[in-house]
Amino acid sequence: MIKTHRVVYRSQSSIRDPRQLLQQMYRDLLASRELAWRLLVRDISAQYRQSFLGIFWAFIPPIITAASFTLAKSNGLINVGNTDLPYPAYVMFSMTLWQTFTEALNAPIQGVASAKPMLARINFPREALILAKLGEVFFNFSIKLLLIVGLFVWFHISITWSIILAPIALIHLIALGTFIGLLLAPIGALYQDINRGLTFIIGFWLFLTPVVYPIPDSGIFGSIVKLNPVTPLLVTIRELATTGIISNPQGFWIASLISIVGLFLALIFYRLAMPFVVERISS
Amino acid sequence: MAIINQHEKAAKPQVDESDIILSVNGISKKFCRSLKRSLMYGVQDITWEILGLREKNEKLRPEEFWALSNVSFQLKRGEALGLVGKNGSGKSTLLRIIAGLIKPDIGCVEVNGRVAPLIALGAGFNPILTGRENIYANMAILGLSKREIDERFDEVVDFAEIGDAIDAPVQSYSSGMAARLGFASAIHTEPDILLIDEVLAVGDVKFQAKCSMKLAEMIKKGITFILVSHNSMVINAICNSAIYLLNGKIQASGSADLIVKKYEKDLFMSGVNPPKLGMKFLPKKTVEKSLGADITYICFKNSSGEILESLRMGESCYLCIGCKVWKIFQDFSLGIIVTDLTLNGRTILMFESYYDGQPLMLKENNNEIQIELPNLALHSGVYDMAIYLKKENPYAELDILQGFIFRVEEAVVQHKFMGESLFYQPRKWHTKHL
Repeated sequence: MIKTHRVVYRSQSSIRDPRQLLQQMYRDLLASRELAWRLLVRDISAQYRQSFLGIFWAFIPPIITAASFTLAKSNGLINVGNTDLPYPAYVMFSMTLWQTFTEALNAPIQGVASAKPMLARINFPREALILAKLGEVFFNFSIKLLLIVGLFVWFHISITWSIILAPIALIHLIALGTFIGLLLAPIGALYQDINRGLTFIIGFWLFLTPVVYPIPDSGIFGSIVKLNPVTPLLVTIRELATTGIISNPQGFWIASLISIVGLFLALIFYRLAMPFVVERISS
Repeated sequence: MAIINQHEKAAKPQVDESDIILSVNGISKKFCRSLKRSLMYGVQDITWEILGLREKNEKLRPEEFWALSNVSFQLKRGEALGLVGKNGSGKSTLLRIIAGLIKPDIGCVEVNGRVAPLIALGAGFNPILTGRENIYANMAILGLSKREIDERFDEVVDFAEIGDAIDAPVQSYSSGMAARLGFASAIHTEPDILLIDEVLAVGDVKFQAKCSMKLAEMIKKGITFILVSHNSMVINAICNSAIYLLNGKIQASGSADLIVKKYEKDLFMSGVNPPKLGMKFLPKKTVEKSLGADITYICFKNSSGEILESLRMGESCYLCIGCKVWKIFQDFSLGIIVTDLTLNGRTILMFESYYDGQPLMLKENNNEIQIELPNLALHSGVYDMAIYLKKENPYAELDILQGFIFRVEEAVVQHKFMGESLFYQPRKWHTKHL
């Protein structure tokens, strides 16, 4: 039998009663698991049914990037320092992680954008959209994992026991992306500017992240790269998966803290903002 | 509860009455027609919400208006409420606030149970996926668990009459099939409150009849309805009570048929503004085009022969019709058909001089036929009149005039109360001491 529950929709800010707000958030997060799973299954099966190459799309971007940068490096077009992994493997592995980060960043924005008609008409737990999209990010990563395993075998990269800790760091990286995405999603549903700006910003951000080059030691550029919160997370995942020696544990924990606290606050922001977004987008 | 405002205080006593399932307390909502400003206000609202500054928002910002203003009502379990009002009167906004999609600016809504909006049929349908997959996704969005969907699945497919096509992609469905599937999924979620916004016109006549039956069955089960429709028949058939919204305010509320009638009357009184009465002339016909006699003009006059500018219920008048006769026939006859535009153009009055036993003695050239209507029995409203001129023995139609639209005003003081009367019965009261 369906549970009946009492709901009050009132004009006051929900944030004035934080305890109730958190209770409702928890309740909705629990309630949205099954819906999120349905949406995930729906989106993935629709996506793959309309695709001939299917999962190869997950492999192609890192391979192309790696190939072009390796080519550029070997011909002396670009001059990057030596990496602790073979350069093509370094680029491919880092690119996969970077892609996962940007997917997580785009997930809430795309989730809200594609569900606009649904949002305008049905009051389902809005968290489900985010969970479903995050599921997609993990699904895509697990496919990319095949590429990474192949890479490690091909280049004879030695691994250590620390690799079992890598997924935790990966979750922190995804949390960081989702945190930023959640802050942008409600505004992005109103203003197109967010989407346009984001493409450009992500391109620039990649340039500030040690994906195609090793961490620079000095200079202004070096300090900017080190201030970039993606850097410690991405580098730590890479180190955990290979050498097992973490070069910047402090940076990692600071970035992780920012990601997790930020994600929690962004979830509250998202929840509070959505009714106002729905009000403005629908007709 | 930390915050209790006046509206909630007012609503408190009713919480104990368990059968009140929905209570809407003093809801107001602002809207903005300019998109640019609307988006800006959206961002502003979000900021205020986050900062916790949003409480009552009684001030209108530039270019805003009240889409809903101080709307209150309550619904008990098993009641069916009709919402009527012109486009843009706030019906859908009200439904969306009740569904919890948007927040009210003032007031609060209290819901005891699950609300299913039949606003969007097939929301979340993905055309690539099969009907089966879409039913699962759609019903999950509407709040059902997998087990609940499993239980109802066959019933949904049966109801939607999809048959074997259930495993074909929805993009191969006809629009009717997709709509039926959407309706079936939504209606089988078994909610406590069903919000229906103009979606009963789905599929063919047979399916519509099936939907109506299903709705009637659901009312019996004690499901509460709020129905938005422009079709008065649907509201009358399903709803006990109705609310008439005008510019976001409750204009009237009460029993469904009374409210619907009032709404339709208002709609025609304000919407179709018939030209002032006066005299209406018809284009002249030549002898060759004429069939022997033509209607030349039409007007209403009072007893002293002055042309009337307006008609009033209960007052006497003369309907005067000009006739130009080219050829004399033995049995001229004039017929009148009046339809009530406020009742979807239902014919309410027909008469003919021949059947009244009144032979028309028309002379060659111009004549005026006068019909005295003592105590005009038409209630206030807008009417359409058709007039035909014919002859009997042998029967032939001579001329016809259609689309003479006229309005009848309300009685001034006396007989102003009409209640549910369909027409005015002239009457005199006497008392006799026995």
